Amino acid sequence: MRYTEDGRDNRVVQLRKGIIELAVMAVLYRDRHYGYSLVRVLTEDGTISLKEGTIYPILARLDRDGLVRSEWVESDQGPPRKYYALSPAGRRLFSQLSEELDLLVSLVKNDWAASESPDTSGKKLLIRKR
Amino acid sequence: MNNYSDAVEKIVESYMDRLKTRLRPVPARERDEFLQEIRSHIYESYLQVAGNTESDDVTRILEVLGKLGEPSEVVADRLSEAMMNSGTRRKFPLHIVAGVLIALFGIPLGFGGVAVLAGVLVALTGIVLSFYATMAVVFLAGTLLLVLGLTRIYEPAVWDKLLTYGVVQMDGPVAALFGQLTPLGQGVLMLILAGVFVICGLAMLWLGKFLTRGLRFLFTLVLDWIRKLATRVRHQVFPKEREILQFDKAPGF
Repeated sequence: MRYTEDGRDNRVVQLRKGIIELAVMAVLYRDRHYGYSLVRVLTEDGTISLKEGTIYPILARLDRDGLVRSEWVESDQGPPRKYYALSPAGRRLFSQLSEELDLLVSLVKNDWAASESPDTSGKKLLIRKR
Repeated sequence: MNNYSDAVEKIVESYMDRLKTRLRPVPARERDEFLQEIRSHIYESYLQVAGNTESDDVTRILEVLGKLGEPSEVVADRLSEAMMNSGTRRKFPLHIVAGVLIALFGIPLGFGGVAVLAGVLVALTGIVLSFYATMAVVFLAGTLLLVLGLTRIYEPAVWDKLLTYGVVQMDGPVAALFGQLTPLGQGVLMLILAGVFVICGLAMLWLGKFLTRGLRFLFTLVLDWIRKLATRVRHQVFPKEREILQFDKAPGF
């Protein structure tokens, strides 16, 4: 059994899953949004390509857990929009999670720095895994 | 409400239909709201794309749906949740029984649990089958009584023959009761009984719907769980294999 492209994609998806949920919370921390405007904010700088539909299960999950509040608002053009904003519980959780994320990111960055050191056995392992 | 052309409308509706099919296990209210939300998204996105490009409307709507993703992606990981929720939502005992069974036998016991679970499932299937067999018998009895009752009223001679040849046998309290009744009364009594039997049969048929639904749900749950178990086992087994293979192949190791 070899490490494959599929394996890589799977890991990228795994990694993104939690982070995107956090990103959604971050956007909703600042402002209230409906699904499409949320997607626009998340993708506007073009660094991340996102299947737009995937944010709806995320929103539904947040809603179910009471982390967001939602309401339907009539739109002057077209069908009504469902607006979301973080609930007080959601705001609290977001603060905690973003601290956690900072810790994790610094952990990952430090590891990168460490791999520059002449620990050759570690390097070999890395190469072999490709 | 919207200003789609006919072709675009058709494409959108087809997409919504596929989405709806995928969302069937989700409770209706939640599902409708979700669909409404996606519909709104498609509309907003379409407006945006329409403003940006000069391509024709079909290309545009396909671009919109492409960005949105396949229905399977849009509903990803909602389904198993909805199934678990529906247990409490529908307040149907078998759903809860399923949850309890899984909780008791499935998760902690591993393969032993699978065996127990398989046994329980077979037993439940047996119950459902015998339920339907009983229903068939009740129906049959009802029909037979109907025929006999009609015979008693309209063809007394045939009835007498049936008694003489022993096709119909009566004794004890039934015979005593019948003896007190007029022939017409006997017929009517049999017709009433026939009616009761048929109603019972129909009621059982109706109840059976829930029974089979519950059973189907149970099977879905179990299969889902087995799939998860299989994935977990694979993850536990294969990393080791991978390591061994790589150590063998690694040059100079």
